[in-house]
Amino acid sequence: MLKVININDNIVLNYIPMEKLKTTSVSLYIHRELNREEASYNALLPHVLKRGCKICGTSEEIEHYLENLYGAVFSAGIAKRGNDHLLCFDGETITDKYAPDGEQLTGGLLKLMLSVVFDGLDEFDEESFLQERANSVTKINNIINDKRIYANYRCQEEMAKGDKYEIPRLGYADKMKKITREELYGYYRKIIVGSPIDIYVCGEADINELEAQIRSFVSHLEFTPASLPENNILKSSSHVKNITERLNVTQGKLSMGFLTGIKPTDHDYFGLLVGNAIFGGGAQSKLFNNVREKLSLAYYAGSFTDKYKGFLMVNAGIEFKNFETAYKEIMVQLEEMKKGNITELEFNSSKEFLINSLNSTYDSQQGLISFFLNEKIGRTGRNIEDYKKGITAVTVQDVVDAMKKAELNTVYFLAGKEEE
Amino acid sequence: MEKITDKLTGESLYYKKHESGLSVYIMPRKGYSSSYAIFGTKYGSVDSEFVVPGENEITKVPDGIAHYLEHKMFDQPDGSNVFDKFSKYGGEANAFTSFNMTAYLFSATGHFYENLETLMDYVQSPYFTAESVQKEQGIIGQEIRMYDDNAPWRLFFNFLGLLYHNNPVKIDIAGTVESIAKIDEKLLYKCYNTFYNLSNMTLFVTGDLDVEKTLEVIEKNIKDNKPFTEEIKRIYPDEPKTVAGKFKEQSISVATPMFMIGWKDNDVGYSGKKLLKKAIEMDILTEMLFGKGSKLYNELYKEGLITQNFSFEYAPQTDYAYTEVDGESKNPRAVYDKITSYIDTLLKTGLSRDDFERIKKVTWGDYIRSYNNIEGYAHNFLTMSFMNINYFDYFDEYSAITFEDIEKRFCQQFNNDMCVMSVIKPE
Repeated sequence: MLKVININDNIVLNYIPMEKLKTTSVSLYIHRELNREEASYNALLPHVLKRGCKICGTSEEIEHYLENLYGAVFSAGIAKRGNDHLLCFDGETITDKYAPDGEQLTGGLLKLMLSVVFDGLDEFDEESFLQERANSVTKINNIINDKRIYANYRCQEEMAKGDKYEIPRLGYADKMKKITREELYGYYRKIIVGSPIDIYVCGEADINELEAQIRSFVSHLEFTPASLPENNILKSSSHVKNITERLNVTQGKLSMGFLTGIKPTDHDYFGLLVGNAIFGGGAQSKLFNNVREKLSLAYYAGSFTDKYKGFLMVNAGIEFKNFETAYKEIMVQLEEMKKGNITELEFNSSKEFLINSLNSTYDSQQGLISFFLNEKIGRTGRNIEDYKKGITAVTVQDVVDAMKKAELNTVYFLAGKEEE
Repeated sequence: MEKITDKLTGESLYYKKHESGLSVYIMPRKGYSSSYAIFGTKYGSVDSEFVVPGENEITKVPDGIAHYLEHKMFDQPDGSNVFDKFSKYGGEANAFTSFNMTAYLFSATGHFYENLETLMDYVQSPYFTAESVQKEQGIIGQEIRMYDDNAPWRLFFNFLGLLYHNNPVKIDIAGTVESIAKIDEKLLYKCYNTFYNLSNMTLFVTGDLDVEKTLEVIEKNIKDNKPFTEEIKRIYPDEPKTVAGKFKEQSISVATPMFMIGWKDNDVGYSGKKLLKKAIEMDILTEMLFGKGSKLYNELYKEGLITQNFSFEYAPQTDYAYTEVDGESKNPRAVYDKITSYIDTLLKTGLSRDDFERIKKVTWGDYIRSYNNIEGYAHNFLTMSFMNINYFDYFDEYSAITFEDIEKRFCQQFNNDMCVMSVIKPE
């Protein structure tokens, strides 16, 4: 279902045809390797680029352009997947056949995106630059606003100490504040021709025409060879890190990080996926049923895994005084997993749960684009059907083998200030 | 079944009012991997005072009971766990309570009929005991506490508290730790028997499915129900036209202050097509005023008063409505002043016809796009149907809207005496 067209050595156009939705999505990703020096530049650059280009000089003009495309959506941002720091441009428009006057909406959206990325103005506007830099600092400071996300973020940060992965997605506030307009522009000119770039189109489109459009936009640029960042999984440490932070909150947030050492290309990976689903992935899981339903300790309790770094993370919202009880219960449930004390219902329903969510990826354009992008970054070469086959084949022993590798690394607890 | 087809997209919808009183909608969507069903009752957190059909006296129940009841619906007479049943068939089940409805739902990519049977069975099988009701106090207590720390949630409820003197929409959906302590199994049964009568409920199913077979499964799974012959009388306290307060500020550990500014809409008390038309007009109008392409947004942004974290909404209901604009700012007061003076100026100089033409296109795109996500669509459809709106009327109402309608609406809606601001500031 994925058609891959190499525009040149750096740029790949990926087309995923899909007719059932009434929209077409277009995304462009610039891959950079996570790096302490560049991280803040990467986080800032997409927002500055989106402030103006050759075809629309200001953000207001960009918005009017999108409104005329029947409210096409176009956003810029930054993502982190393993060691890959991705500059993201995501867009979506209603499919051309729904345009009342036969307008070329997908072509129009792609044109704007290409202009923003490749055809930036000859220099960044000073005022826009300063606003985006200030906003990028605000975003870093705002991580604390959602306590659940904050607790997971802090736990991951502690777990990744010494690894590239500790570099924050949004960069560093102190470095961000010092970036100058000229430095950022120089960085932009360097990376635009020196990074792997993936463009995804998902929906109904004349892909040959879009390909031609891309070629004409980049034909005047001279590219330097670039390759995707290498992945590495997190290494375990000899002791467990225990961290308690205090903020003025009424509910405690517990995050526990485990390292598994499992890579996405390992045989154990499917066992880990099923194991995580049984352990804490949804309403059929052990954590949900024991920590929440049976012991009434939490409103939410669940777990997730990271594909690229091989960690498994548990999180729960609990009363401060229940910290010990919740912690113990989570460890008891993990032991159950390692011993293979898994009911047939837990085992089968967790597989169903995973297969169900894989199947529903087929109904979402952003879901499909993310899927193929993630597999490319993880270098698995798998498609959705491969995942379904892999999950179906998992045995209880596979789950036990994978879960046995989970070693507790970091316990992070966000507690209240008023506690005795 | 009655079949309706949308002129614009060609999508069809089948409808039947079953003799049990249940409204059934089936919407086939070719090619979708997921199917989705939502079984909802027109019963939300605002409905805490009512007269049961056939009775004379008013029943008053504790705040938060609709949400509490939703939680307890997952307990089954045979002690089984509803989630386990869905899990067996790969169905992902959930439920929610809003101000105006309670809904039970699942999505699945296989075993659709088994999942549908499970959904219909458990929602029609209440089982509450003193012990099981007691057990839930802890979980819901945690849920309420979780929202105490949630800055956007506090921002929103402080905002509603400014707009409304008495309307129960200002009360937290989950109630308070004190109010839920008064809930027992008798009260739950009373609410269940009133609001979960099938004549107060709607089932909407969608996905790549066979209409006849689906209807057959639904009809077979409808339990005995005597439909009410009269409406459930819902009693809402009188609400003055004024706002209850102009400004409220709360400190929470956030990094940047957050604001929610809004206007109370006093043009309420009706539902159906008239409400749909108002809702579409307000969508166009608010996009013209506050959208990313608007003069206001761009000025605020350039002055560094707001960030991209800026949104706005018009919330239409039969008994209350408001417009809100929210975001983060180092200086919420300056944002408030700027917005109110911008509105004042526009009230004098008038709206732009060009803006209207452009934004009307955006609304068209949004309508087409609303068909993409079948879960969102079903949810939206149900919300509208509880306001007596048929979403398939959208295109006709949309097409008839003129610039003059929008101008009139603008003068009616944006009175700065009705404007309030809620702020969350860092500690």
